[in-house]
Amino acid sequence: MLAAIKDLYDYRELMAALAWKNMAVRYKQAYLGLAWTVLKPLMLVLIFSLVKSFVGIDSGDIPYPILTFAALMPWIFFQEAASEGVSSVVGNANLIRKIYFPREILPLTSVVTKLVELGINFLILAGLMVYYHMSPTIYLLWVPLIIAYTILAVLCISMVGAAMNVYYRDVATALPVAFSLLMYASPVIYPLTLVKEKLLVNQAAGEWSNFLYTVYTLNPLAGIIDAFQHVVLRGIPPDISSMWPGMVLVIILLPISYVIFKRAESYFADVI
Amino acid sequence: MAIIEVNHVTKEYRLGALHGLKQTLHDTLARLRGEPVRERPLFKALDDVDFKVEEGEVLGIIGHNGAGKSTLLKMLANISVPTRGSVKVHGKVAPLIEVGAGLVGDLTGRENIFLNGAILGIPKAEIKKKFDEIVAFSELEEFIDTPIKRYSSGMSVRLGFAIATSVKSDILIVDEVLAVGDLAFQRKCFDRMEDLIKRQGRTVLLVSHNIRQVERLCSRVILFNKGQAISDGNANAVCTQFYEASDTQISTGNSTNLNSANSNEWATGEILLRGIEILDAEGNPISKLRHEQAVKIQLNFEVTKEIRVPIFGIGIHTTDFIYLATQHSINQLKLDHLEAGHHVLTFDIPSFPFMPGVYSLRAGVAEGSGARTIFYAENLLHLQVVSDNAEDRTWNEGLVSLSGIWSCTPPLLDFNEKTHVGP
Repeated sequence: MLAAIKDLYDYRELMAALAWKNMAVRYKQAYLGLAWTVLKPLMLVLIFSLVKSFVGIDSGDIPYPILTFAALMPWIFFQEAASEGVSSVVGNANLIRKIYFPREILPLTSVVTKLVELGINFLILAGLMVYYHMSPTIYLLWVPLIIAYTILAVLCISMVGAAMNVYYRDVATALPVAFSLLMYASPVIYPLTLVKEKLLVNQAAGEWSNFLYTVYTLNPLAGIIDAFQHVVLRGIPPDISSMWPGMVLVIILLPISYVIFKRAESYFADVI
Repeated sequence: MAIIEVNHVTKEYRLGALHGLKQTLHDTLARLRGEPVRERPLFKALDDVDFKVEEGEVLGIIGHNGAGKSTLLKMLANISVPTRGSVKVHGKVAPLIEVGAGLVGDLTGRENIFLNGAILGIPKAEIKKKFDEIVAFSELEEFIDTPIKRYSSGMSVRLGFAIATSVKSDILIVDEVLAVGDLAFQRKCFDRMEDLIKRQGRTVLLVSHNIRQVERLCSRVILFNKGQAISDGNANAVCTQFYEASDTQISTGNSTNLNSANSNEWATGEILLRGIEILDAEGNPISKLRHEQAVKIQLNFEVTKEIRVPIFGIGIHTTDFIYLATQHSINQLKLDHLEAGHHVLTFDIPSFPFMPGVYSLRAGVAEGSGARTIFYAENLLHLQVVSDNAEDRTWNEGLVSLSGIWSCTPPLLDFNEKTHVGP
């Protein structure tokens, strides 16, 4: 494990160069360029706000647009970093076949690329906060930790996914479907407080309620999005009770994902 | 200490495509029922290959297509792993396996130098230092800020080669990269390779089909055939063995191309070539000839219409169509006309001048003082020249023997008087 981290340190320049390439290639011949990074979440906020005006979602004392924007930031980061990570190995087949470097660089580079885009979205978030007269609190210091945890959740999917995608391209094809399902299973359109209220307070599913809530929070995104909204918008510390099931899952899955990736890595060049 | 150790390496690939869901289900059902399942057959790309390379050695790897050369290089570059056996490499490897791998079309030449440098593991500071040198070598000063998708293929390969050869490494792996660009650039690449190899004392593994190049650059050569290292040793000896093997393959493959599409035959129909044969001094047909043997080339023509003042020509060329020698009948056979019917034309060569190898014959017929071509064909017949003496080839390099007479004077009193050396 230590050797792996040292390896990554040695190859930091390659990661930086590849991440820069990902950005450059995407935006080079696009007129709107980097603006796309913020356009996507803003459009979604617009659509969700429209939907909300029909179905009525209780967003508490936080204005709905900024609440969803704060949910979309970690969600889009997670979803795009993971799906780009899954196709990163196959997408760089020409490099895999010709040049050696630790292959985990590729899914990691996808994370770095998306991290830059996430950073840009923070500017928009700051703008929205000014607009809604919200001031940041000391709990903002939690943000790097929450993002680090999100990265680990991304790698659980992207490493094993990237390895499997080399053998079966079905993985990259199935992923968008899986992610759109996962989005509805995560508190993106609605806040986690609604789920909590239904299951823990009203016990809507009877004796199964507490169990169902644990299952719901097994999805690391539930905890991540809620924690992000807590520390950025509500000015309170993250709610660990909604995070631990997801954390346990990540701690179990991450080593498995890494080992599968490393096992498969040696055969990438033969199979790809 | 050996810098590269290849220990009994075997690499197997499964032939055929990965099974889809339907086939997998079908096979699983069959297995459950205890029926035999058709496994995808294995292919041995490398078969128990074992050798060591010492530091500073320049090793050439030769063999026909599919002999396992590239597979071996992939193992050495850590791109692929052996099925059995192990590969140990002590030191940093710079693979020039396919220059330009990883160049991105949307980025400019400048951006690609930094990106490709990073991919090849060159620190950024060093690329900055070498930037001008890379640009100058690739001759792309004008275009360095243009996206390389607008480059010609030669331009991007030049850029790739310039970047790849600026990697600092202990071991350089080169796979057939010198066949890039125009002649002038090939020359430049070759000089750069020679510089890397001879003056910087790096360990180099060179894979090439250009045997002359391998012979020139390498101190040791391994010959691969069907995944096995069949010969390992002195560059000259192994290359000779390879030449002889390929010569036999070419000449037994198709000895006569008469009337086949391979001969590029062109004829007006006034005269047709019916047969062509090589005869020894006694007039017996032969398939192989020895260097400096007396031979006759016999052409069997059918003339359909009287030809006035015919001129015949016969020539010898290499299998890659370099015309080596030609002889016309114009000064010898002063024929006024050739009547319709069968004619046998014999060309007598008292001493066949070409070195061992495979050559081919071409022939032509022209009519009249205007020398109007009425028949022409090349690649008509493969001639394999062999030598009884294995040393022959190593001592006499080239295609033609340079006949001449050596002499040596007794010791001279005044050196300047006899020879024209010095001011």
